[in-house]
Amino acid sequence: MKTLMVLTGLLLLLAAPAAAADITFDKTRIDAVVGQRFTLETRISNPGAEPAEAVLAHLNLASLTSDVYVDPEDWSSERSQQVDELEPGETTTLTWDVQAVTVGSFSVYAVLLPSAGRGPLVVSPPVQLAVAARQTLSAGGALPIVLVVPVLLGLGAAAVRYRARRTR
Amino acid sequence: MSAKVVAAQECRDLWVSGRGPLLLFCFSVLVSAITYLEATNRTLNFLEQREAVNLTLQVAVAVGVLAALVVSADGISGERERGTLESLLLTPVSRRAIVLGKLAAALTIWFAAFVVTVPYVWVLGRGVSIVVKALVLGFVTGTLIAVGLTAIGLLISAVSGSNKASLAVSLLVLLALFAPTQLPSGLPQGWFFDVLLRLNPVASGLHYISAQLVAGHDWARDLSYLVSPVVVVILAGGALFVAGPRIVRLHGAVSGP
Repeated sequence: MKTLMVLTGLLLLLAAPAAAADITFDKTRIDAVVGQRFTLETRISNPGAEPAEAVLAHLNLASLTSDVYVDPEDWSSERSQQVDELEPGETTTLTWDVQAVTVGSFSVYAVLLPSAGRGPLVVSPPVQLAVAARQTLSAGGALPIVLVVPVLLGLGAAAVRYRARRTR
Repeated sequence: MSAKVVAAQECRDLWVSGRGPLLLFCFSVLVSAITYLEATNRTLNFLEQREAVNLTLQVAVAVGVLAALVVSADGISGERERGTLESLLLTPVSRRAIVLGKLAAALTIWFAAFVVTVPYVWVLGRGVSIVVKALVLGFVTGTLIAVGLTAIGLLISAVSGSNKASLAVSLLVLLALFAPTQLPSGLPQGWFFDVLLRLNPVASGLHYISAQLVAGHDWARDLSYLVSPVVVVILAGGALFVAGPRIVRLHGAVSGP
């Protein structure tokens, strides 16, 4: 009886699709400036001989600078994507839109979570992300326009009003 | 031809009486404040330059259209309350020409607001080669929205019993159309949200501008978002053209002093 149960268990284990075993990014390092948007691609493959079960791919981000707080939701609005069952040798590609929000050094990585909620997690190698500060606009550049346009229009409006009152 | 005469007279009233220049001055103060904030505030300055141009352009389109709508909402009901509609109706000009002339005059506020926006877009967008693209997008999309909403404003003004009611209803329509543009972009957006977005001429027009300027899409990729602004122009403009002669009339109770 015990032998039968062990055999049945083994058969069930073999029949169940295995977790996808491989996830990699298309880049290993990104240098960006604050505000910049970029796209990351992950390649998920099933190198095994059995079909890999459907998984949930999740993008995450960690700060490597101790005093820099990271809220991954600010960096990417869609951080979870469903990956359908993969046949042996099959690969699929996911894209992630990310915007650099804070200055600092970060690691971006993706995790494959089994849809059934059990089994090991598969984690990708991290992408090193270096975000530099940038001041794209300056008060000095904008100030002349910001002041001159309303002043000219205000003077024009006052002149039109004054003229209209005099002609009445 | 008679519509041109009415438009010229309305433009004189708008721009020489002082109301147009005052609206334009207020518009420039608002756009100046936003541009200065974008240029100096560290939090806002994290925005990419394209996003700064997009934000300014969206505010310019929204407020420029608002100004045009306010003028058009006053177009017929205001004349009626001031008692000047009677003398206008006695002139040898068709009622359709009156409506078209008023529409054209109200649109001059939008065109003037757009001209005022040009230097702000230039100062924010120089260096990233999107100034011309932003201006063309703002002009085309903003004009579509402005024509549609100005026509709606005139329709409301023609059927309203009082000028206050006309202005209130017009502003309510505008606020209702602008409200969806304020939803956080990170919210999950299903098919229902997409349908609402595409049905709303203001939200879809502004979405088209963002898609081109910020996401860098090809101009033809999101053209379907311009369908609702075009449909509103056709429907509201057509209704104004067809029903104009019937709805531009004096109300018995307010025939003037």
